[in-house]
Amino acid sequence: MLATIRWTVFVLAAFAMNFPLIVTLATSFKSAREISTNPGLWVQAPTLSNYLTVLQVSDRLNIFLYLANSFAVAALGTLLAVALALPAAYAIARGRLGEKTLLPLIVNLRAVPLVIFAIPIYMMFQFLGLLDTRFGLGLVLTIVNIPLVLIILVNAIADVPYELDEAAMIDGVSRTGILFRILAPVCRPAIVTSLIFGFITAWNEFLFGLMLTTSKAVPVTVGASFFFAASGGGVQWGVAAAVMMVGALPPMLLGLFMYRKISGTMMAGAVKG
Amino acid sequence: MEATHRTEWTLLATPLVAFLLVCLGFPAVVNLVYSVSQISFATLRQPEITGFGNFVAVVSDTAFWRANWFSLRFGLLTALLECLFGLGLAVFLAPLFKERSWPIAILMLPLMVAPALMGLMYRLVLHEFAGPVPHYLWAWFGDSPAFLGPNSAFWTLTAVETLQWTPFAFLLFHMAYQAIPTELREAAALDGATGLARFWRIELPLMLPTAVAALLIRFIDGFRVFDNVYVLTGSGAGGSTTSLSIYIYEAFFKQGAIGKAVAASVILFAASFAVLYGLNRLARRRRR
Repeated sequence: MLATIRWTVFVLAAFAMNFPLIVTLATSFKSAREISTNPGLWVQAPTLSNYLTVLQVSDRLNIFLYLANSFAVAALGTLLAVALALPAAYAIARGRLGEKTLLPLIVNLRAVPLVIFAIPIYMMFQFLGLLDTRFGLGLVLTIVNIPLVLIILVNAIADVPYELDEAAMIDGVSRTGILFRILAPVCRPAIVTSLIFGFITAWNEFLFGLMLTTSKAVPVTVGASFFFAASGGGVQWGVAAAVMMVGALPPMLLGLFMYRKISGTMMAGAVKG
Repeated sequence: MEATHRTEWTLLATPLVAFLLVCLGFPAVVNLVYSVSQISFATLRQPEITGFGNFVAVVSDTAFWRANWFSLRFGLLTALLECLFGLGLAVFLAPLFKERSWPIAILMLPLMVAPALMGLMYRLVLHEFAGPVPHYLWAWFGDSPAFLGPNSAFWTLTAVETLQWTPFAFLLFHMAYQAIPTELREAAALDGATGLARFWRIELPLMLPTAVAALLIRFIDGFRVFDNVYVLTGSGAGGSTTSLSIYIYEAFFKQGAIGKAVAASVILFAASFAVLYGLNRLARRRRR
């Protein structure tokens, strides 16, 4: 009896929280005519025409460009964050460097509203010609990713027994050798977690994408809104729904693929943050 | 020996520190200089330092205080609701997750969706002709409120934010709940503690640090909200849904009031720094 109530609560909560996804998925398979007569959740005559419309490239709307931009900036923003944070995490975890100030300072960045840096970064990018470039947006996403990536990597390296380092040092392995040949392979799960987590965060970022790009480097979170005003008249809801599904799918798949790790990562971030 | 070690460690951390200094330290300095300067798009590279006029302009702007009030209310309310629902789900549904973890995957799916896209999805969900919510409300009750109208926009946005981020609080509480040793529960049961007493006296106190962390994280994220509010209502009718982030964004991009936007940024920066510094000191004293 109690089990039935629990399952009912679970289904209701899952339905409520995923409701926009369900609605958008259903609408993306409806024809324009069906949307106007049947706004409900049930699809009477499923069609793929919305997705075909989305995949057509026009001057103003190019879903492939938005997806490629999102992929490129998320990849840069993640790889660069890990590349910068890994040696620093090693120095913090093993060399006890900056435990008191540097680590808390960077970790607290996560709690600072990044909009306060938005205006000077915009002006700096204008000066350097980085506005509307994938490289520029990727750099900003690196900043967004660094705090959490650093926490994950510091924790991971601190968990490795120090005897491993000592044994390598006796064998005459240099510091960087220890990092890249011993610690990095041992910490591979944590590195993969931080890569996937960073990629999802960067893919889903909106504020800097909105401010720093206009056409060439527009990511899909910003580009999706272009489809809402696509046809001059009213919004083509079927097409808009298809775009949103396409834009939301990559991080959702990544998240489902490693959801067991994500809860642990969030816990680590919460405890240290 | 010690000194060479120190250099080696410093070298390893240098790329990260240098990157952050260039990408954040420099903008912070620019913020400070511009906030006390007479500045426009024409004089961007020759700021003329004139004093605290920008700050006076911000502090005397009622829209600024309204944005503060919106952010504060929104952050507090959503953090509280998310943690209440998250805690409730984590505790009540705990038996379901003992042998299987796929239900957790379904519950955390909203976390993977970009808040901006989630906001756009709600434009569809709540649309008066194409949206299912008004459709069913009309069909069942013969009436449907204007969800994004001036009177209900705040509550709609609160619901949107809460529904997307309750899974975050749920996950934290779920982990904390699983971490409570079984012996503790069994011992309490042996002493005759009922389920409710066990929750209030043992489980909840043990999850208190998690609750504090979850509330804090969710409050910060709610306070600085931008994405979903921006795509759903923008600044809202008469600025009714202008969060502090949206205020700064619009001052800069829509009004071109660079000085005002920068001064507001500096105030926000100082405020968040003060709050974080205080919290860190508090946490450190606790640990001792």
